[in-house]
Amino acid sequence: MSDTPADFAVFGSTPLARLLAGLLHQVHGRSTLLVGDSHARYRLPREIDLSVGAMTRPQSWALLAASVPETTRLLGKIAGRHGWNHVDPLFFAETPRAREALGHIGHMAAAFGLSTEAVPPSLLGPGQEGVRMRDAVQLHRPVIEPALDDWLDALGVPRIVPDRVELAPDGAASLAAGDETYAARQAILADDASIIAYLPLRQWPTLLSRQPMSTILTTSTAALAARVMAHVDTGTVLVQQERGGVAAIGPGGLASAAARLRTLLPGPQPLQHAGQVLHQVLATEDGSPAFGRAAGAGADIIVGLGSVGAFIAPALSRWLAGVPTPQEAVWFGERLVGRGDTLTSVADYRPAWGSAA
Amino acid sequence: MRPQINRLSADTPKGLAGSAIDRTRPLQFHLDGRLVSGFAGDTVLSAVLASGIDTAGSHLDHRVGLTHAAAPPIAYATQADNRQRALPMHRTPALDGAEFVTLGGRRSWSWTRLFQPGRTLGLDLDDPHAFGRPWLSAEGTRQDVRDVVIVGGGVAGLSAALTAARSGLTVTLIEASPQLGGHSGLFGTQDGEDTPEAAMARLATEVLTNPAITVHLSTEVFSLRQGMVRAHRVEMADGCARGDVIDIEAGRIVLATGAGERLPLFAGNRLPGVSGALETYELASRYGIWPGRTLVLATASNAAYRLAVLARDIGVPVEAIIDSRPRPNSRFIDFSRAYGIHQITGTVPVEIRANTAGSRLSIVLDGGDPLTAERLVACGGWQPDLTLWHVAGGASRWNDALSRLEPVGALAGIALAGSAAGYFTRQGCIQSGADAIDALLGRERRPLADPIIDPLYETPDATLVDHGERAAAGPTYLDAGPSLLTRPAPPPRHWYDVFRPRGMAELPALSEASHPLTLETIAAGVTLGLIPPRSAGIVAQERVALIPLTPEAAPAAIALPLADGEAEIPDFLQDRFGPDARIHTILPQDGRRLGAGALIFADADALEPLAAVGVVLRTTGAGIRALLANDAIHDGAALFVRDHGQSVAIILVGRAFGSSLQELA
Repeated sequence: MSDTPADFAVFGSTPLARLLAGLLHQVHGRSTLLVGDSHARYRLPREIDLSVGAMTRPQSWALLAASVPETTRLLGKIAGRHGWNHVDPLFFAETPRAREALGHIGHMAAAFGLSTEAVPPSLLGPGQEGVRMRDAVQLHRPVIEPALDDWLDALGVPRIVPDRVELAPDGAASLAAGDETYAARQAILADDASIIAYLPLRQWPTLLSRQPMSTILTTSTAALAARVMAHVDTGTVLVQQERGGVAAIGPGGLASAAARLRTLLPGPQPLQHAGQVLHQVLATEDGSPAFGRAAGAGADIIVGLGSVGAFIAPALSRWLAGVPTPQEAVWFGERLVGRGDTLTSVADYRPAWGSAA
Repeated sequence: MRPQINRLSADTPKGLAGSAIDRTRPLQFHLDGRLVSGFAGDTVLSAVLASGIDTAGSHLDHRVGLTHAAAPPIAYATQADNRQRALPMHRTPALDGAEFVTLGGRRSWSWTRLFQPGRTLGLDLDDPHAFGRPWLSAEGTRQDVRDVVIVGGGVAGLSAALTAARSGLTVTLIEASPQLGGHSGLFGTQDGEDTPEAAMARLATEVLTNPAITVHLSTEVFSLRQGMVRAHRVEMADGCARGDVIDIEAGRIVLATGAGERLPLFAGNRLPGVSGALETYELASRYGIWPGRTLVLATASNAAYRLAVLARDIGVPVEAIIDSRPRPNSRFIDFSRAYGIHQITGTVPVEIRANTAGSRLSIVLDGGDPLTAERLVACGGWQPDLTLWHVAGGASRWNDALSRLEPVGALAGIALAGSAAGYFTRQGCIQSGADAIDALLGRERRPLADPIIDPLYETPDATLVDHGERAAAGPTYLDAGPSLLTRPAPPPRHWYDVFRPRGMAELPALSEASHPLTLETIAAGVTLGLIPPRSAGIVAQERVALIPLTPEAAPAAIALPLADGEAEIPDFLQDRFGPDARIHTILPQDGRRLGAGALIFADADALEPLAAVGVVLRTTGAGIRALLANDAIHDGAALFVRDHGQSVAIILVGRAFGSSLQELA
């Protein structure tokens, strides 16, 4: 190991974690480690990366609108044109409350320059209404991930799959992988899995709760009405696979997720699984993302960004490096993980979670 | 009528005349209008293969062989429209006078079929349903509850069934093939053992005559959970083969599902004429079928050498044996050398090509002249069949030394036995069957003997893989099964990769495959470096085809709280327009409907969302409710809703306080 600890150890297996590790090193001159696996090419997806989300706060849309072009330019340099697709995601809802939220989401997207359109009812199920957002960006993780790994390697950012991790109360990290040991002055837990795995329980924020989440991959079915569909009521995301199947990522256990999927997929044909996995995710109490040091002094955590996380990586890296723009400083400052009831509410839409059956 | 050109003669020695068929009872049936002949005891598949039909169809313009693992479902012609009546070719008995049709997805045009070679079923295998199993989505019919269900009728399963019956338990034994006994025959005999055929026959007879044991042959278990298995059964009823799905409840389940043969990884590995060692042996020993007059073997396993010796014994010239291991040793290798069979070690085929007629294969090696033969038997090693173990929630771990996934941990009420549990020898498998019952009954366990011959004398099996990334005429498939998954393309790393030709069959990554991944595919993924060994077990659990056996759960209740009345402000709007924002009733001056979420501005030309002073909440019976900043409401204030790009003037007609609505007259 190096005698000098790195400035940051970024924990996570997502494009966001990789981008943060690289940007903190390349742009902000910090020494970084990436602590996480590369598994997008062989494991089922746990989430997707999409440049739009079910968000209602204009400040969040403003931050995203400023950050998406910056991120896609960066990804273009790193991964070329293979790394993402332009898609027209379809957000749809059925219960009155979710339909209301869908209206707010759609109007906010339109207000920030996205082309949106109401979806004809014939493309949706009975009692559902939908909004299609044009020209969003969806990252293609099986391509982006190895490209980001190559980028990190070229930058000299070590990528570590640790055998042992210890986080100190002050947020410092020490790690071992094989015969090598590593240390960093500050850990950044950049995805749910790393927070669940490594954040000391005594520093666990009251804002966060664990939720079961299922991914089900189906064999080929009738085509979806859009390549990406988001069920606003439950937060279930349906992604049309290139080879005909559908990946569904939604709350709850496998049984309830499969039952819900039968109601959401088009066509009468029976559902056949091509894969499934149950995992845990974190939700914030108010539906808004959370950032900052656990218990005020521990590891930095990043949680609740949903599908848009990778697209705010440049802004987030600036904030972590202490050089945010004034707007970024306000936005992140209002969303600290230690925020309490006394602060101005930044609550955002939070879908209902399915039962944990 | 098609002559049985691939049928060995009745006097073929070495037990390869076909133990399952009765040559005194010839029969004929139609498949897709073609007359096929066979014998009583044949399956539809074996009769078709005996008649020289060895091609399932075309996948991305490449011919794909017809095999046990890749055969389309069939149905009686009168039931072709009912996919629930589908039958598997390899488990359906050949019946005299039957009219069968294949159900394998799209079909070639009938007029082109007139001109295609007689050795193909002519299926369009680009259709993902070509090898589908329609019964997988059927609900099962409940059968009698049993104490134990044994899945697999090889020596381990037979041993487990007998041990359970001797313990006073009621037993159901389920075997996918039409015969009991399993696959021990290929692996020969060790010192002091009787022949595998004798051992299988003895155990099978004992099981079939034991009144406590019910045997379901031609029945394939495809799902299970603790306490229940679901299987598709083919049985005879009124002279017809009939398929149905059955559920059997049992407190204890033994999985003796054996080991699967891995497909060697090189281009052209599923061409017609290329087959696995086990399938080759089973076709010969059970049905007396041996396609091809000359043979090349490619192997990483000693068992294939026994097949070479048997081939020579029945008069089939063996051109060469290609072994990926540098200096393999085995008693079977010694025998084959004694027969003068040419052996090429430390190399692998890099591509198999077929001539236009498909009757002759050219086996291209990495250096040297190609070998030619009418048939290539290729054995890529063995993988314990843990599919049902994973379906039940069991875990597994990659064993680097043996290049295979092995089970780890335990499941309540479910035990593994035999090759599925990782045992290698017949003795070990038989003992493990009894041990599985002991484990399920909580009895004292006894140490098991699995006497593996010293590696000095019997080189362990390895893998048969071409690691090179070269242009080839045909695809490299990852397994022999129905998914037709090909080797994924390496990820694009450079801008000029956009010009790299990418075959339609090339998956960008295994994670993108919209099929379940077989264990053979996962093992191939590890061998090719696509899956890290430490993750193989997790991928195997994730990518198994789970079929829930619980009653269908209702969709999860959506836990959104009920509306708190027309005056409710959603959480996501709290503080958005200041702490003292209130709900008002508004009326657009042009009378239009306004959708929830439309922003309200104090300036008709304003567009900046952060400058909004309010938002439309919802339309109720009493009007349109809007949330408005308190300082936006004053005498003479003008308000505008921006809706679908247009600015619409509104007027206030009412105000709400908290949850009690007070209309202004």
